[in-house]
Amino acid sequence: MSKRSLSKLLALLFSFAMIAAACGSDSSSDDDSSSDTTEGDGGGDTDADDTDDTIAEAGEEAEGDVDTEVVENEGERVYGGDIAVGLEAEAVGLRPWEDSCSSPCYNIMVTLYDKLMEQTVDGQYEPFLLESISSNEDFTEWVGVLRPGVVFHNGTPLTAQTLADMFPIQQTGAASAGPVTAANLAGVEATGELEVTYTLSQPNSAFPATLARAGVGMPFDPEAAAADPDGYSTNPIGTGPFMIESRDLDNETVVVRNPDYWGVDPDGNQLPFLDSISFRPIPDEGTRLDAVLSGTVDAMQTLRQGTIRDARAARDGGDDIALLEFQGNNVGGGQFNTLVPPYDDVRVRRGLTHMNSQENVIEALGGTGISLPGTQWFSPDSPWYSEKVAAAWPQFDFELGVSTLQEYVDDPERSDGKAVGEPIDVELSCPPDPTLIAAMQVLEQTWSASGLVNVELTNYDQQTHINYALGAENGFVGEHGAHCWRWSSEDDPSVGLTQGLAPPTAEIAEAAGIPDVVSPLNFANYFDGEVFGAAVASTQTADFDERYALFESIMLKIAEDVPIWYSGHTATAFVTAPDVQGLIGWHTPSGELGIGIPNVEGRWAEVWLAG
Amino acid sequence: MGRILGTRLLRLLATLFAVTFLSFIMTSLLPGDPVNAILGVDAPRDEATVERIREELGLNDPLPVRYVNWLGNAVTGDLGESYINRGQTVWGDTIVQRLPVTAQLAFMAIVIAVILAVPLGIIGAYRQGRWQDQTTSAGVQVALSVPNFITGIFLIWLFAVKLKWLPASNWNRISDKGIFENFKTAILPATALALTQMAIFSRLVRSDMIATLQENFVLSAKAKGLSDRYILFRHALRPSSLSLATIVGINFGALLGGTVVIETLFAIPGLGFRLINAINQRDILVIQGITVFVAVAYVLINTVVDLFYSVLDPRIRKS
Repeated sequence: MSKRSLSKLLALLFSFAMIAAACGSDSSSDDDSSSDTTEGDGGGDTDADDTDDTIAEAGEEAEGDVDTEVVENEGERVYGGDIAVGLEAEAVGLRPWEDSCSSPCYNIMVTLYDKLMEQTVDGQYEPFLLESISSNEDFTEWVGVLRPGVVFHNGTPLTAQTLADMFPIQQTGAASAGPVTAANLAGVEATGELEVTYTLSQPNSAFPATLARAGVGMPFDPEAAAADPDGYSTNPIGTGPFMIESRDLDNETVVVRNPDYWGVDPDGNQLPFLDSISFRPIPDEGTRLDAVLSGTVDAMQTLRQGTIRDARAARDGGDDIALLEFQGNNVGGGQFNTLVPPYDDVRVRRGLTHMNSQENVIEALGGTGISLPGTQWFSPDSPWYSEKVAAAWPQFDFELGVSTLQEYVDDPERSDGKAVGEPIDVELSCPPDPTLIAAMQVLEQTWSASGLVNVELTNYDQQTHINYALGAENGFVGEHGAHCWRWSSEDDPSVGLTQGLAPPTAEIAEAAGIPDVVSPLNFANYFDGEVFGAAVASTQTADFDERYALFESIMLKIAEDVPIWYSGHTATAFVTAPDVQGLIGWHTPSGELGIGIPNVEGRWAEVWLAG
Repeated sequence: MGRILGTRLLRLLATLFAVTFLSFIMTSLLPGDPVNAILGVDAPRDEATVERIREELGLNDPLPVRYVNWLGNAVTGDLGESYINRGQTVWGDTIVQRLPVTAQLAFMAIVIAVILAVPLGIIGAYRQGRWQDQTTSAGVQVALSVPNFITGIFLIWLFAVKLKWLPASNWNRISDKGIFENFKTAILPATALALTQMAIFSRLVRSDMIATLQENFVLSAKAKGLSDRYILFRHALRPSSLSLATIVGINFGALLGGTVVIETLFAIPGLGFRLINAINQRDILVIQGITVFVAVAYVLINTVVDLFYSVLDPRIRKS
């Protein structure tokens, strides 16, 4: 080939590629079929007006709340089909008792394992693999009855003895020992073929919540687990709607239909609908979204507001995708290390919090119009949300923040030992995520503008960030100052509050007269006997009003003492191809609508491919 | 030759000791704790379990003891097991599993780079100072300046999102899905990796070719009336390729450990993707194993290139 021909060929190829890109399947030229496809099917838009038979979430929807409402699925169910799902990370293992599991991992786990309990749309816990559960009066003994006829993927029947045999493994499992201890679970006994009795060392009215998470709530085959504990990770055996087909770590985990699955949908259709699901870890947010837009995968999850913003833009620009958004109780922000000066003084914490412009921080996070500002652990549509707490939370008021901080700066007895009038030193630390850094820069600028704060921004990788907050090396005091963090979830609030508000160090526990109760997970090191007492009291009653009052009193005290600050509630989403249906409107065996997709944990048994 | 090999072997051992010692010390001194990754961030924490895991993993031993234990096992070929993915061996389940993926990417990147770089380098040298040279030089400068992950993002946008010709992510294994499907997942990341290499290679070919074209034997060939194309490809290219051969070998070794960003961007289950996950999870033995492997591969490839170089050019062998 001559030189000229080569040049021409290269020029032609480049031109062709660019023209093809311009004319290619840019769906801006397509009709907006995504909203039609998902209309009223529970599948997709945030436009609740499209649905007639909407079942509202508990609580009142707040203005600007961007949740996709949890609604009944509509449309003809179709059997068959394979889908691929992009996850934000790989599941390190698939053993409920051994491998810690977060949102990406849960998506795989719930296809392989069923839970004993599940949460319904109103946040209550309902039996799933169990058929019923009840407790004695003081919540120290819980009796559950298993659903009959459930078998593991290897054909072994699930019985009460199975749960009893699981318990010794759970007591020492890396992922389950913590939940066993936190739930005060002391023994599990088979009191009948299908009847199991859980004995607790202390009252725990929130025990059903423990049975709705992997550590204790996902039955596995204890005999197979004991025989080959490592092999169980790549060859997991559960009772779930799908069975493991292959596991190629960091690339693809394929699950296929369990032909002997016990579950049916409310119309009596045998579950699951899909033939197989391929879960693929795609850590880069942009690539994961591109994977859906390009058809490489059929669905992807995200816990980033910036990605939701980009996905909305793509949808509004005509790309044929659906967004299933969910904004639950998880709330971001930061925590002050209240054992360390100057954060040990409430004037500093309140001053800095008043100078936290949530609106600007949320904008920096890419969450304008997506995330609601946080005032408490609960989002406005949670049954635990309190208007009283929202009103009590220190709102952005720069002048008030400055004057509050000035009191501390001018105090000759100020705790940081500096001279009167000298600015305080604040180390503001976040993991090195671009949006988090942008958000922290907003805080830095606002705090610095007061002239009373020297801010040092630091970024450490996730493990270092956690380790500094945990502080195992210094008696769990930690090495942090003002530290980015997230709190809360859809779980029963008492689970997180009893851990997060217990005495953080042995000295504090001793002084409080409860030497055996130390929680390394009290990262802010904030301890107040009354507040912790209220958290404990919430585990001793099942009465909603009583519990609501207790949680409200805790949140009010947090608003007063501000050991933590909030930015916005964590918006999450599944972005799917329009033919992926049924992801949000799943059901419990009694036909109750499930909680939806908190923390972008999908339930895949009722998902089907339309058309 | 025996002396060269002996020297190389000693150098390899010294390099390995330095690499293993430094990487072990550095990763162990990082503030994160693998036990936190095993337990999960906010998971309820049972201190007895924490202690048991630390004991099981040998994390309570002093650092020198841990290093010596690791080294003792490593010389027998046992690089240990992942702290996080329990039961997964560092050698068999990590390096052996993932090396073919990274090696294929690196190989494809090098091939693409050479295919593009040689003609560009020749054009630049043949038309030195003219618009063809200036154009290719500008293009090469751009390719050198743009980080490969930016190239990767552009390629995903163009070929996956817009044209829908190729998948945006992940990896089709040849053993599962055949060579064509494998090629579809490999070509974009390999191209993203190739462009920087191409820029380096073409600069090298151009400068070597310019020097060669001024040699007497080229002038003599011209005087004989041979065509420019014949002179360029039959007489000038081979002596201008020695530096290229060297740098191709060195860069192939470097790519084995240098695909971290591209593998993460495209979610490709190679050594780089595993390494970055291991760093984030403080999976020390996996970090250590991959680091050592990459160091060994790099030194070995360099040794082979040096030997090859001396075979190509007798003057080097004699010196």
